[in-house]
Amino acid sequence: MGRTLTFNIFRYNPSDPASAPHMDKFTLDETERMTLFIALNRIREELDPTLMFDFCCRAGICGACAMVINGRPGLACHTKTKEMPDEITLMPLPVFKLVGDLSVDTGVWFRTMYQKIESWVHTDKKFDPTAQEERMDNGLAEQIYELDRCIECGCCVGACGTALMREDFLGAVALNRLARFILDPRDQRTEKDYFDVVGTDEGIFGCMGLLACEDVCPKQIPLQEQLGKLRRKMALAAVKNILPKFLKKDF
Amino acid sequence: MSVPTTATHEGLPVGKLSAYLDWAQMLTGAALILFMWSHLILVSSILLGPGVMNGLAWFFEATYMAQVGGPLIFLCFLVHFVLAARKIPFNTAQQRVMLANAKRLRHPDTWLWIVQAVTAMGILIMGAIHLWVVLTNLPITAEKSAARIQTGFWFVFYLFLLPMVELHVGIGFYRILVKWGFVDRPGRWTLKKKENLLTAVFIGIGLLSLLRYYFLPLK
Repeated sequence: MGRTLTFNIFRYNPSDPASAPHMDKFTLDETERMTLFIALNRIREELDPTLMFDFCCRAGICGACAMVINGRPGLACHTKTKEMPDEITLMPLPVFKLVGDLSVDTGVWFRTMYQKIESWVHTDKKFDPTAQEERMDNGLAEQIYELDRCIECGCCVGACGTALMREDFLGAVALNRLARFILDPRDQRTEKDYFDVVGTDEGIFGCMGLLACEDVCPKQIPLQEQLGKLRRKMALAAVKNILPKFLKKDF
Repeated sequence: MSVPTTATHEGLPVGKLSAYLDWAQMLTGAALILFMWSHLILVSSILLGPGVMNGLAWFFEATYMAQVGGPLIFLCFLVHFVLAARKIPFNTAQQRVMLANAKRLRHPDTWLWIVQAVTAMGILIMGAIHLWVVLTNLPITAEKSAARIQTGFWFVFYLFLLPMVELHVGIGFYRILVKWGFVDRPGRWTLKKKENLLTAVFIGIGLLSLLRYYFLPLK
């Protein structure tokens, strides 16, 4: 404790014609158990009330406070200042539309992406509100939940070299999301339906395996494993008809 | 703002071309990895003596593996380049985005990809020259190889080509396994360590072999 922290923060308000992108410097005395979330609130309360940034839950659940912290996408509320150097540089997440300063609009991007991959359970079963819910094997439910832990913060997209270079690349979050529906027995989509959604260079075959998604995910979702499984599944689906019988297993 | 714009949806089935090309990129890559590792082991037979190297070279000539396999490897090499180049940024804007991201992130695997992309360009040119020089001057013998390396120019040429190939091949091996999901999270770190060690060992063997050729007495 007793450190004085220097914050270099990206400032730009796209809706203000007089605003130009620049970095502002703020200094704060470090307090015990300080997180970037606390620091940013103090900066806004004590030093500059115009500073824009998003937060909601302050507990790593809502994903709103994702930003680029000393070069790496991460959650401000999850980042303890005691684990950071004296100087901290904060930038908004790339890829997403800038609202202002550190605040970005991830909502529009995610909604569009979910529509593209049709991120909902496809079923022709009529919902009966009086019937008991269908049982699911506990192990399978846990597997689905493991992937459903995604908080849609956008860190994986902001860290992905491929997504930064190619606007049409779906990104790890979308591929992980689809992997979740593939596991779900309530979704009646066939392998071909899934292939039609991600069996392209904009989908799983566009992934170059840089694995920044895996390494920055604040929820430690096993993205490398999921993307690998999805690539195998989709690649095999494409050649199933030409494979000899003994190779036609789902590995 | 970037939004995924071209993913398809129900009712618009996509072709299988992307999948076929991804298979081909991986399979040509895997074939070239196996070839390059075998190649280095065979070439390093000079460390056991010119007779061993000549014997092995004779075997590959007599069975026509050099005459037929050589051009096939050349073809595989060119096909692999064309397929993998689909992913490499050739325009400056994309290159700058990629570099800026790697610098900002300080993320080893993103840097490894850049090493792979840069060495790919070097290997395309120098590997093609090497293949041409060797395949147009068959049969391969220890004396001919040594004479070429002792010109000095070729020694320096291989001092650049050797680490480029070993880095590219080693990283490629690691990337195939992680991309196709053959390792899990803990397995990835073990694999990376082993891959780094393997690359270092291969560069070491290659350097020793180069020095042996350089100092091999010519008749």
